[in-house]
Order: sequence, then structure tokens, then C-alpha cells
Amino acid sequence: MIFLRRQVPLLITMITGLVFAAQYYIPHPASEQLLTSATKWLQIIGGFALVLGVTSLFHQHAAKIRRKEAGWGYSLVLYAGMLGTIAVGLWANGKESIDGAMTVFGWIYSFMMVPLQGTMFAILAFFIASAAYRSFRARSREAAVLLIAAVIVMMGRVPLGEYLIPISGDLSQWILNVLNASVRRAILIGVSLGAVALSFKIIFGVERSYLGGGKE
Amino acid sequence: MTFAERMLRIDRRIIFVVIGVCTLLPLLYPVGLPIKISPEVRGVYEYMEALPERSVFLLSLDFDPASKPELHPQAIALLRHAFRKNLRVIAMTLWVSGTGMADQLLTQVAMEMGKEKGKDYVFLGWSPGGTAVIINMGQDLYTAFPSDYGGQPTKGLPVLEGVLSLKDVNYAISLGAGNPGVEAWYVFGKDKYKFELGGGCTGVIAPGLYPLLRSGQINGLIGGLRGAAEYESLIGQKGRAVAGMDAQSATHVAIIVLVIICNIFYFSLRNVARQQGRVHS
Amino acid sequence: MDATVLGAWVATGLTLFIFSFLYKDNPLFKLAEHLYVGVSVGYTIVKAYDTVVVHLIVKPIVEQGEVTLLIPVAIGLLMLTRYVPKAAWLSRYAFAFIVGVGSGLAIPRTISSFILKQIEDTVRPLLSLAGADGVTFSMNLLNPASNLNAIIILIGVSSVLFYFFFSIEHSGPGKVVARTGVLFLMIAFGAAFGYTVMARMSLLIGRLTDLIEFSDASYGSPTLWLALLTIGVLVVLSRRRQQEEPPEAH
Repeated sequence: MIFLRRQVPLLITMITGLVFAAQYYIPHPASEQLLTSATKWLQIIGGFALVLGVTSLFHQHAAKIRRKEAGWGYSLVLYAGMLGTIAVGLWANGKESIDGAMTVFGWIYSFMMVPLQGTMFAILAFFIASAAYRSFRARSREAAVLLIAAVIVMMGRVPLGEYLIPISGDLSQWILNVLNASVRRAILIGVSLGAVALSFKIIFGVERSYLGGGKE
Repeated sequence: MTFAERMLRIDRRIIFVVIGVCTLLPLLYPVGLPIKISPEVRGVYEYMEALPERSVFLLSLDFDPASKPELHPQAIALLRHAFRKNLRVIAMTLWVSGTGMADQLLTQVAMEMGKEKGKDYVFLGWSPGGTAVIINMGQDLYTAFPSDYGGQPTKGLPVLEGVLSLKDVNYAISLGAGNPGVEAWYVFGKDKYKFELGGGCTGVIAPGLYPLLRSGQINGLIGGLRGAAEYESLIGQKGRAVAGMDAQSATHVAIIVLVIICNIFYFSLRNVARQQGRVHS
Repeated sequence: MDATVLGAWVATGLTLFIFSFLYKDNPLFKLAEHLYVGVSVGYTIVKAYDTVVVHLIVKPIVEQGEVTLLIPVAIGLLMLTRYVPKAAWLSRYAFAFIVGVGSGLAIPRTISSFILKQIEDTVRPLLSLAGADGVTFSMNLLNPASNLNAIIILIGVSSVLFYFFFSIEHSGPGKVVARTGVLFLMIAFGAAFGYTVMARMSLLIGRLTDLIEFSDASYGSPTLWLALLTIGVLVVLSRRRQQEEPPEAH
């Protein structure tokens, strides 16, 4: 059983990993066809993965409602919102608009989901301002450099800043294009080397945490 | 407690009010300061400008409502430019929760510019799989998207005439708010299928895309609301981004002033502490 | 009532409910927050069903007879065995496939796009050949492609990589290189902070623009009325809380 539960999945990863890494260097029609099919499959499997991801919320809130835990009423709101959206969504064939006319599903999207999600992230504006006031202090030489760079970029990227201090525009442009680009490049190279190493570890079965769930 | 200590510990809601007022006032009473165009935004504009009529332009709207204020104006400006240049527009999204917005804005701009669905533009909708979708489109556009958003088969649409895969796209722009976004379009798209690629993104990820800009992997970059405002100015159709620039200026100055004030108090406290230390010793 | 006007009222109300969190956590915010999660999950499920089940699976199989698509469907279903504890191990086959193909696809593309291309652009010639005049060295800082900037980028990339990769104690010349790396890093973090502020403020501008639009009389001024309502509810709630929790005696 261990062979089926542990060895076979590792073998699948290794074979598919090596095949698709090699595929990049072999532009033969058959290999290209393989790539087309596999990516099409990944598209479909991606849909299942998405459903798997979001449905874990179901259990959590259902349990809360069943046990009438504190705040279960909010879980009920969550369920109502979800089931209501699913119902109108299926009714509208999953379309927000049909020939330019908004459906009820589209209405829920435009007037509920868009403002809700948008505002959730918009309140961060206030918190970043408060955090800047509380903790953005030039405690050391490095912190001072960071602070000055941030101020130059903040000034240089808005019309008022460029109007008040004309050089801030060019200066922030130079910071972004040269100094920032070089650091981001080093980070990109470093992270990519790490990602490639991790991919090889996965292919050769050194890294196995992705197998997760289920007993041996 | 000294004045400086008290000021450093003020109720954060006072700062919230300052930021709220600094945003609201310029929106209600705009000044309209001039906006300078950066070379990275000009890169996208000039490439679009040089494309011949009926060239194939792919716009991937890879964002969700959380980034709407930054990327929605970019999308509108780019679509206006593309339709004005009579390009064939293929729009799509890799972010499920962005589908409704992408559909809405494409329909709106197409209607405004008198463009016909299926002939001048197509909305492919969303497909799961992220990077796999990009590769699949590079292999065969019709396997990745057998039908468009409305459910119509993509094969045979006049707008897609002669387009078999990403190799036949003249210019692609990803408006990305994260992953998959501009980087994924390079790694899984342009690297192999060799179409020209431009980028648009939120302010948060813009600095991270400069290495790709420097190496020419993307030929231009529209960053955040400021980038959108520059593009709106370039096409001569000012919209929400230009309107928001005064508020953007005011909030930036407000934050800089807050940071300066906090540092003044911090240093005054530090000096006091040092002097006291000297007295004690 | 017109659907758009009703929409304006709902959108404004929900926006203000979320903003009410800035005062303090309260039931209006919690209500909006849970509604947001519910609607988003519902939306994703509908989209996944319509796009994947209807357009990518059923239609191609029924209309074009593409039976090979049953393979990814089977793999996808294996993934859902996670919900059945006894059969959960079967989901490993699905994850093994996704992770295997994903890693295989990523390795060569990442090397080509992010390692080779980025190194290639870093080690550019430090001098330019300019026609018959021979070599030139451009000092223009504002041109990112100038020779001076190419040298700065080379110094930046190498010093930051040195700082990251050599965890040995930095001393002597190594210390100078590492400190240069830190300096470059701080400037980049500063730029990132500046851009993050820019982005967050833009989001706020976007939401406030909507609220201003919805304060128009053609919608029935929902912003005004609902702002009053939200403030009223917050006042009532905080009064009630004060009554429930009498201040502690000192």
C-alpha cells in the first residue's frame, strides 16, 4: 500500500517534471502536442483546485452556525450571500451581462462585490499613513537613507511634488530605473535560483510537503 | 508626559481624518496641475501608435476589484487608444473576480467608439489555470478558449482571422495586480512565442518590474494611477486618473509632512533623553 | 426603483459600513465583511462552474467528442477526495501531477527569463563603440542605458547578491561590499514604500470618487443619508456599550 500511496505519486511528479522540463528544448511536433494537451488539462484541473480552495470555508462556517458559536449570525450572512449569489449566477448562466444588458448576477457583482472588495483594500490607505507617522523614523543611517529615498519617490511621482521641487521627478526616475532596478534584479535572480532549486528538489522527491493530506 | 511624547501618541483616528480630508478636498475642488510623461509610459504609447491598422492587440486584464481604481483607468485609456487606431482587440482575464469588470469596461469603451463585437473586438472571458492558460494560448488559442465570454465559438470570428496562437499577436499588454500578471506573461508567453509585450500594474508591484523594463523584456510600463494619468494625457482624453492626481499629490504631501513631524518629535525626545543621561552620569 | 439607483444605495451603504471600521470594529463592518466573503465565494463558484464545467468540459465532450478531456476531469475529481478521509490519499495523484508538470514547465522558463536574461543585461559593455571615433563613455545619469548607469547597476546587483549569498562574517573588503549592498537595498525599500503609499492612496481616491458620484441628487443622495445613518448607528452602539459596561471605579 505504501508503494501506491507514497512511491507512485513521487514517481508521477518525477516523470512529469522531467518530461516537461525537457519539452522546452525539444520543439518536435509531437512534443508540442503534448504541451498543448497538458496545459489544457491544467486549465481544467485548475477549476477543480479553485473549488477545493473556496469550499473549505463552508465547513468552518457551517460548524459555527450548528454550534451557535459567538457571531454565528455573521456566518449566516456569509452563507446567505454565497447561496444567493450562486442562485442568481446559475439563473444568469454565469454571465454578468447578456448582449450589454446587466443581469442580476452582474448587479450583485457591480454593486456589492466590487465596492466591498475595493473598500476593504482602500482602508489600508489610512493604516499606512498612521504606520508612517508612528514608525517611520530615522533611527539609524540605513533608516535615514530609506526615508529619504521614500520621500524623493513620493514627491517625484505626483504633479505637486514635481511642481514644488522640479528635480524630484528626474531624481525619482533615476532611483527607480537604476538603483531600484539593480536591487530588484538581484532579488529576482536570487529568488529565481531558489525557485529552480526547489523545483529540482520536488522533481527528485527531496521536497514532499505538497503531498500533504491522507494517512500513509 | 512632554508635548513631543503626547504628539507621538496621538489617536490614530486624527491621522485618518487628515488623510480623508486631504483626499476629499482636491476631488471636490480640483486644481489640475500638469502631469509630466515618463519614458516608460511613453514606451507603451509609442509602440501602440506605430502599429498599423487591424494589428492584433491583446489586453489581459489580470486584476480584481481591489485594484480597480489603479488599473481600470489604465484599461479604459488603452482600449480607447487601441480602438482609435483601429486595432483588433482581444481582451481576457486570468483573475476570476475581474471578469465582470473586464466585460463591463470593454463593452462600455467599444460602444463609445462605435466598435462591433466579433468584428473589431472579442472578450474571451476568464479561464482557470493561470500560467497554463498563457502557454495553452501560445500553442493554440482555440484550445485555450473554445468559446468567448458570451459562449460563441471563437473559431471563425472575423476579429480572430489569421490568429492561431500568441505568435500572431502583434502587441500584448497585461494589466497585472499580482501573479499571474506581467511577469507570467513574459515567462510563459513572450519567452517562447515572441510577441511584443508591455506592462501595466499597480503601484505596489511597479518597482519590481523595472529589471524587466531595463532588459527590454517589456517595452513599457504603466505604473499605478499616476501611469494611468500619463496615458490619459497622452491620448488626450482625460478621465478618472487625471482627476485623481490632485488628491494623490495632496495625500503624498500630507504623508511626507506627517513623517517629518514624527521625526522632529522623535529627535527632540532623543536629545532630551541624551541630555538627561549626561546629567545623571 | 431603477436598478442603478438601487445599486448606488447598496454600494454606498456597504462602502460606508467598511469605512466605519476606521472608528472601531463594529457590527456594521462585520456584516459587510461576511457578506463580502460570501458573495466572492459564490461568484467564484458560479464562474468555475460556467467556465470549466460548461465551456471547457461538457461542451467540447458532447459537441466535439473530445473524450480525452475526461482524463483531467478524473484528475480533478481525485483532488476532491480530500473531503473523504479514507480516500484522501488519492488526491496525492492529482497534486503530484500538477506539481510535477508545474515544476517541469517552470524550470527552463525561469532560467531563461529571469536568470540568463537578467544577467545578460547586467554585464553590458562598460564602454560603447561609437563609429570611427572609437570608444565613448556616456555619463548621462538620466539615460538609464548610459555607461555610467550600467556600472552603477553592475555594482548594485553584485553587492546585493553578495550580501544575500555570503552569510560569512563580513569583514575587510567584504564588509565594504556588503555595506554597499545594504545601502542599495535601503534605497530600493524606500522606493517600494513610496510606491506602496501611492497605490494605497489611489485605492482610497477611487472609493471616494464613487462616494462623491453617488452623493448626486439623481441617485437620491445616498452618500449623505447613509453616512448619517452609519454615524447614527455607531453613536447608538457606543452609547449602548457604555451603558452595558459601567466605567471601572478607581
